[in-house]
Formats: sequence, C-alpha cells, structure tokens
Amino acid sequence: MSTLLDQQGRAAEVLRRFSRTTAAMLLLVVVAGSVALEVASSGSFLEGPSVRVFLQYLATPILIGLAQMVALCVGQLNLAVGALGGFTACLTGVLMADHGVPAVIAVLVGLLTATAVGLVTGIVIVATQINGFIVTLATMTILLGAQYRLVGTRTVDGYSPTLRDLGTAAPLDTPLVFVTAIVAAGLLGAFMYRTVAGRRLLAAGGNPLAARLSGISTDRQIVLAHTLSGLLVGVAAVTATASLPGVNHSVGGDWLLPSFAAPIIGGVALTGGSIAVFGTVLAAFVTRLIDAARAQFSLDPSWVNLLIGLVVLGTVAGGHLHQTRLAKSASSEASPQPEGAR
Amino acid sequence: MNSVLLECRDLVKVFPGVRALDGVGLRLTAGSVHALLGENGAGKSTLIKVLTGVHAPDGGTLAWEGEPVQLRSPLEATRTGIGVVHQERNLIPGFSVAENITLQKPPSRRGLVDYAAMTEPAAGCLTELGVDLAPDRPVRELSVAQQQLVEIAKALYTESRVLLLDEPTASLSPEETERLFEVIRRLAERGACVVFVSHKLEEVFAVCDTVTVLRDGKSVLESSPLADHSHDDIVSLMVGRAHAATELHPRPVDRSAAPALELDGVATAGGHRDISLAVRPGEIVGLYGLVGAGRSELVKAVLGLGRITAGEVRVHGRTARISSPRQALHEFGIGYVTENRKEEGVFLEQPIVRNITVTVWRRLARAFGFVPARKERETAQGLVERLGIRIAGLAQNAGELSGGNQQKVSLAKWLAADTRLLVIDEPTVGVDVRTKRAFHELIWELAHDGLPILLISSDLAEMVTLADRIVVMTDHRVRGEVDNDRDYDRMSGRIIRLIHDRDAVRS
Repeated sequence: MSTLLDQQGRAAEVLRRFSRTTAAMLLLVVVAGSVALEVASSGSFLEGPSVRVFLQYLATPILIGLAQMVALCVGQLNLAVGALGGFTACLTGVLMADHGVPAVIAVLVGLLTATAVGLVTGIVIVATQINGFIVTLATMTILLGAQYRLVGTRTVDGYSPTLRDLGTAAPLDTPLVFVTAIVAAGLLGAFMYRTVAGRRLLAAGGNPLAARLSGISTDRQIVLAHTLSGLLVGVAAVTATASLPGVNHSVGGDWLLPSFAAPIIGGVALTGGSIAVFGTVLAAFVTRLIDAARAQFSLDPSWVNLLIGLVVLGTVAGGHLHQTRLAKSASSEASPQPEGAR
Repeated sequence: MNSVLLECRDLVKVFPGVRALDGVGLRLTAGSVHALLGENGAGKSTLIKVLTGVHAPDGGTLAWEGEPVQLRSPLEATRTGIGVVHQERNLIPGFSVAENITLQKPPSRRGLVDYAAMTEPAAGCLTELGVDLAPDRPVRELSVAQQQLVEIAKALYTESRVLLLDEPTASLSPEETERLFEVIRRLAERGACVVFVSHKLEEVFAVCDTVTVLRDGKSVLESSPLADHSHDDIVSLMVGRAHAATELHPRPVDRSAAPALELDGVATAGGHRDISLAVRPGEIVGLYGLVGAGRSELVKAVLGLGRITAGEVRVHGRTARISSPRQALHEFGIGYVTENRKEEGVFLEQPIVRNITVTVWRRLARAFGFVPARKERETAQGLVERLGIRIAGLAQNAGELSGGNQQKVSLAKWLAADTRLLVIDEPTVGVDVRTKRAFHELIWELAHDGLPILLISSDLAEMVTLADRIVVMTDHRVRGEVDNDRDYDRMSGRIIRLIHDRDAVRS
C-alpha cells in the first residue's frame, strides 16, 4: 500500500513541478485557444480538413524552431536558418526538376548540403573566434545569393510526384510532414537529454569554463551545435519542398523570426545551457493558432506579427518576473538557516 | 586628533552557509590612509560591499560623522560621500576623460548635457590630484594606471570623503605605484580618508598610517596605528594562530615511491620561472603563497590552459605535453577541483546528478551514446553518500546548494572519474568551520587511499593541518620547501621567513 501512496506522491510532485513550467502554461494556451477557435468557428475548426491544413503548416515552424534552439543551447545563434532552408529547398527542387535526379538522391543531397553548411559555419566560428552573429549573418547573405542564383525569379515545380504525394499525404488527417517534425523533435529530445553528446552541448552552453575544466572541448560543442542546426534546417527544407506547390526565391524568407519566437516562447534561455523541446513545439503551435485565428476572423495579416511580437515580449517578461520571484523566495528560505545549523 | 568620518560597529552579514562578516568594527578618520588587510575569504570584499551600499548588513551599526546612517544603495553611499575604485575598471571606454569623471552628475542645461561646462570641473579634479591628463582624451587610449587615476578623479568629483581602493596596485608598475601613492597622500592631506586594500605588505607599510585586519569575518585588529606593529605581527594576525592545526590520525607516506607528478624547471608564458616540485602517491603537497603568487595559473598551465615554455612535466613517470584539460583527464587521469566553484566548478543550472557524472558519461554510455539513467543515478548517489553532500534529491539544480556542498559536488565529479592525481585549489574559502573540518578529513582519507594530492591554499592553518610538505611560492617562483611537522608556530615562522626573504631581496 505504501508503495502505491509513494507513487501517488511522486506523481503529484511531478505534476506540481510541471504545473510551474513554461510548457504547462503553453499547453493551457493551446487548449484554451483551440476551444475558443472551435466555438468561434461554430465547430468547423476541429473538423478533419481544417485540422489537416493546420498541422500541415505546423511542420516548418517546429523544425526551424528546433534548429534555432540547438544553436541557442550552446550560447550561439543561427541567423542563416531561413536562407539555408530556402537554398536547400531550391537546390533539391532544381536537382529533381532540371537535372532529373531521383527524389531519394536529391533529398539526401539536400540534407547533406544543409548539414555541411552548418559544419563549415561552426568550424569558421571556432577557427576565427569571430562572433557567431557575424559569421551566420555572412552565411545568410551568401546563401541568399546562392538561392537566387539557382532559381532566379522563376518557380520550380513539377518535380517528383512521389515526393509531392508524400508531402501532402495525411493518413487519419495527420499530415506526414507534421509526423516528420514530431519524430525529429522526439529524436532531438532523446539526443539532448540522454546521450553523451547532447549533455556535453548543454554543459558547454551552461558554463563554458567549467565544461573545459571538466574535460569537455567547448569548440567541438559549438561545431556540433551548428552542424545539428544545419541538419534540422535541411529536414525543414525537405518537408517544405515536398508540401509546397513549388519552390522559388521566396522560400525561407519568412523563417528567421519564427525560428527565434518558438524557442524563446518555449522557455529556452538566450544565454545558453538550456533547451525545451516540448516547449518549442508547443510555442510553434501557439504561433500557428494565432495565424489560424487570423484566417478565421479574416483579420489583416499584420495582426499576426503584432500578436506574435507581443507574445514573445510577454513570455520573456513573464519568465523574468517568475525567475526573480523564485530567486527571492529561495533566498528568504535559505538565509535563516546557515549550513552549520542544519 | 582628526574627526571621525565613518564608523561601524559589530557589522554582521550572513550568506547562506557562511557568516561573511561576524562582528567587524572600523573607524575611518579624516586625513588618514587606512589599510584593510586579510586573507582571501576573510571578509574584505563583503565589508567593502556593505560600506558602498551594495549589501545591507544583517546586524551592527554605521555612523557618518557621528550620525547613524543607512546605506541602502550604491547611490546613497555616493551621496553620503563614500567612493570606491574597484579592482576591475568601471569606465566607459568610448567616453572622454571629462565625460567619465562627470558621469554620475553631468553638468546640464535645460536637460541637455553641457559639454562646455564639463571640462572645467573635470580638469579641476585632475589638477587637484596632480595628474597631467587632457580631459578630452578618450579613455580607451589611456594606460591602466591612468584609467585608475581617472576613477579616483571621478570619486573626487562626487565629493567623496572616504575613498576605498580595492587592490589598486595589482596591475601597476613600481613607478606607477609610487605616483599613485603620491596621489593617495595628497588626498589624505586634503582631509579625506583613503582605505587601501592590498595583499602587498611592503606597500601597506609605505603608504598607510592606520590598519584594520580581518580574519574569518571578524576584525582581529581594529583601526590601530600601523607604527605599533611589525611586519610579522601583521602577517600572523592575518593568517591566525587561534584555530591551529586540528589533529588527524597519522598517515604513513612512502617517500621513496616514484612521483605521480613532477615539474622540472618549468617556465610558463604566464611568467613562472624554474618551478620544480614532485608529488608522490598518497602524499599531500601544499602549494602555499599569498594571492597573486601564481599558483592556480601554474596548475592551469600544466593542464594545457596556459603555455609551458621551458622545463619538463612528468605524470606517472611519462613526459606529459598536455594541451587541454580533456587530455589531462583522459590520458593522464588528472582532476582539478577549482577555486571558483560557481564560475569554474559546477553547472549551476544543471541537476546534481549531471554535475557529478559529467566526467564519466562516455564510460557509462551504451550504444549510440545513450547514457543509462539508472547507472548514472547510482554513480552519483554513491558519491553523494560517500562525501556526505546534503541535497534534497539528485534532480535538484546545483545552484540551489550551499557553497560547501557545491564544492563537494565539484570534487565528486573527479572521484567519479577515478582520477589518479588530484589538484585541489583553495577548497575551504567561504565555507563554515564544520564543513571545513569535514573537507579536511575527506582530503586526508583520499591521500590515505593512495591518491597523490597537490593542495593549493592561502590558509596557513589548513596547510599545516593537511600537507606533508609545503612548497612556498611568491611572485611566480618557488622560494623553498618545508617538511611539515604539524607544529603550527614553527611552521608559520619558517614559511613567513621564506616569504620575507624575497621581500628583503626586492627592497
């Protein structure tokens, strides 16, 4: 019996801890938002087709949010998320449409290219000691040029029907691209929380000096983070190529801000050392809800950016207030009993 | 007799786990240069922070010119007339000298900064100090010494009558130091009180007239005329005789064993010359010196964080050219328990379990690098029990622990990795007496089990308690070595003489 009580107690403790997290708050927002939209749309929001569209367009924000999160976790950032995604999508499309490369190979080339660009970015940052902001700003500009060089002003379409079918397939109203994003998030979570390499990333981001003195090469972690970020952007680009009607120079153009919004709203510290896979996914969900609400109420598109901006500010300010309160209550708990007295 | 500017009595400041100030009295009189001395962790920086309004005291009284006063913020301290020049520079590099001096109260007209009216008072302050500097020069062009003088001028501009100088000579050449002393004397003549914090006793005797010594958060000598005390008096007050060596059961050391760590004529890019020492299995070798002697820097150079320019390092009999702490750990089994645990020792925002197993993830890992959670917890739990770390649970963040327990966590990670040589740097700075005692027993046990330990400490009592041999360093050089017979008075005498001989050579 006591074990049952124990288990209940532990479950209650886990629940209590969870209820204080950003993810819990976001989950609440997601549920409340969905219900509100369901009511406002008189029941059409949760019907099959509209759920499918909703999830279809959720894949990209999740993947680019995760790509940015990985860079943030070692105290870096990746301004080239959108440019790399656009370039990779165009590269894959051009290979298939203009050069007749089979879809499997084109997709693999796309993923490898994005990963390689991430790897090179990381190596340049470590080797030159130049701030990652500047290096990724430069790669962003280079990649934008490369993307334009590839496609110019035309839209590449009519490539691999198989890939397009996969990109729009949605068994049980669950689009495959969304499943891809969720699987990527799951794998990333397992990698970050459970493997040696993931932990080293977090350690190096949280306290570089202590990490070095504990036998962790911080340089390698920076390279690894950018490589992983590149790979995730590659996955985002492939899902975009598969699900969009065609690719052109504007793909990726509006990815940069959402890539920051998702992890920041999701509870990732900009200073490095923390990640929030679940939080980032939920935050992408919230931004998508705002978009859906705009469509529902036929609001002006500018409202979406305004709202997302306010949500970002609000969560950051709210999180800051929460931390300060926690710190205060912790110190008032700790100070009356110095260690010797315990 | 000059008037008393600032007086404090029975100041107490408690941080979680430690009484940083535990009854400090201080009387600062106009026209004097007051030395504030004490070893690392004695409470000097906390006292400075209380006097400048950064920390509110938990007990005791403060009076300004006889009137009780409360300093609730640095701004209030400045308004009262207390200025401080910190060790690290606090100037804005892109601003001019005049802009920096008048930063806290820039002359303005209708809400706009009046640049024309700025130069004159700034130049006035500089002239008063006898400093020849153009007020319109950007601060980034100035030398460290000149920047320091600008900071003093800044304090003058805000009409500070008590000026705290925290280690002002740490990065100055002898000539620059002499010029600074002239400025300090001039300030005292004008009726200010300059508080001079330094580890260099010869400088203290050169410029100060009054002295206060802190030890373990208490003022063991309070506002006393410096002329009444000798060099040796002051040093023994600083290091303390009160809590002399605590007894630990005897532990045999095999002096004939092959050394685990050997430095042979090592020089570094950081300025170390001709350093030779050896640590044998089961031996605790103390590396003693005052702050700034270059002990931690020496160890960091050996670990690959600095450049070794000459000589040889041998670890377990092998010549070791170590290029990173990573290599030091994996190839040579060297662990380094760092001095600044918060900055270098622990990951404050990571759970305790990860903090302990960070060195062994690779060894615990299964296929694809996955670390089995159960094995990780077992490893951490074993060490938590062995070291008696007080925690709420392994998932608790290390940042929530007290200083002593954080220190134990940062030791635990090296024990987890089965290191074959341990360097422990200032293990008990800022921890209370009970934890200190527990730490000493722990280090003793580790050596008893055959681990070679190099112990860095500025706490002479700790050295005499723990070390088998004590290597004395000053100024990046080894000055000598003494066999510890655990007689505190004899040991401290010999060590202080080793430190002094070098002072005699220099002056």
